[in-house]
Amino acid sequence: MEPLISIQIQGDRPCFLPGDVIECDYQIDAVLPEELVAVEASVLWYTEGKGGEDMGVHYFERRLPADAEGDLRQWRRFQTALPNSPLTYTGSLIQVHWCIRVRAILKHGKQYCCEHPFRLGRVGLATLSE
Amino acid sequence: MARRFRFWEKKRGDRRTGSKMVGSAGEAAFFGSLFLFGTIAMAALWAPNPWITTGSKWLVGMVLASLMFIGAGGFIYTLLLVGTTTERRRALAKRARDIDLLTDALPSPRDFPNVPRDVNLTNSPGIKLAYRLPIIGSPSWRLLVVGTFTLLWTAMVSVLIILAVRKYLVGNPDWYLTVLVIPFAAVGVWAIYYWLRLLLLATAIGPTSLEISDHPIYPGRDYRVYLTQAGALRVQSLTISLVCLEEATYRQGTDTRTERRRVFEDVVFTRENFEILPGIPCEHECDLQFPTGVMHSFQSDHNAVQWRLVVRGKVERWSKFERVFPLVVYPAHQPRPVIDAPSVA
Repeated sequence: MEPLISIQIQGDRPCFLPGDVIECDYQIDAVLPEELVAVEASVLWYTEGKGGEDMGVHYFERRLPADAEGDLRQWRRFQTALPNSPLTYTGSLIQVHWCIRVRAILKHGKQYCCEHPFRLGRVGLATLSE
Repeated sequence: MARRFRFWEKKRGDRRTGSKMVGSAGEAAFFGSLFLFGTIAMAALWAPNPWITTGSKWLVGMVLASLMFIGAGGFIYTLLLVGTTTERRRALAKRARDIDLLTDALPSPRDFPNVPRDVNLTNSPGIKLAYRLPIIGSPSWRLLVVGTFTLLWTAMVSVLIILAVRKYLVGNPDWYLTVLVIPFAAVGVWAIYYWLRLLLLATAIGPTSLEISDHPIYPGRDYRVYLTQAGALRVQSLTISLVCLEEATYRQGTDTRTERRRVFEDVVFTRENFEILPGIPCEHECDLQFPTGVMHSFQSDHNAVQWRLVVRGKVERWSKFERVFPLVVYPAHQPRPVIDAPSVA
């Protein structure tokens, strides 16, 4: 059975501006505590589109059972100030997306991952004006 | 992600449909066997062997040593990657980039990740405005490349023609050589014509210079642009356009391809039917109102958003010409001081 990963952005904000502080909670459920080897939470951007996929990690934390009194499933909150760039963008060949990604690493190398998207900045859609 | 082993799997760029674990195991097995083969062969090489001389022993030894080195390096690298997620690797790379000693050498300023640096755009002061923008793809480089090709091709064709003529003169014509020389000579004539045309274009049209009142660019702000176009020509039209391009690099099989698409174009200035006299260049200063809500300049390993000012001219009796001047556009929002994200890798 796959573990359940919940991610929640404080205030349910879908859009942030550069420099804003994003505060986020996450929790892992439906898995035995001894099954969890590590949990990684990151705030990152990635590209989508015709080109190869690029990715940049702005915030990253990796927690081991020793960091959480043996139980990595409990609620955890972190916060970080968002960078000035790159902004969320939906272009013709390129799209830049921001998200919070939580990855649960289980015994025997199994991994489960959950994402919560959000927008950074207010860039419009790419439209060709001639 | 596929869980079972498959002989065939789809692959596009770095993305695979097959199991990551099986891929890593295969990679480790390949590098491990390379190292093993190199070690065994090296041991066999240095054992007493009457067929291998001392000179060739060193050469073979060097090849085997490189196999051992590649095998060991690849094996260790693969093992290191097995227990590391993509995010963790990126976070470690970011931490290395944040070392103060390296920040100046990075392609992006620390406060604006993935926005290209504008050092090369602001190191040349203008005559009238603050900065003179550099030009991308100067015509002199094209002239040099075409000139070198023309010279080498003409030299080769000349040798072939001399050989063919000599055979005619001694009464032993070589028809195969003659047939070969005709298309080669035609290409040579075309290359000379094309190079002379480029040379005339470069000398008649003259240099284009573009200055800007401030840099980097912020969306929604107003700037001044100053254009000078030298030469001796009758111009049908001369325009300055603000252009935004998206650039995506991807792998298709073993090829690496780059696709560019224009996503924004706005004509800033147009002038029609006028004459530029030698020594009196055409000068024009105009406003550049940068649009709001547009994407900033962006540069990552495989993707880019590029802004540029493009000067296009249509000249009587000549072909069109185009000169491109890059710009670096920063995000519109006023930057706040950077607070380092306390990443725990």
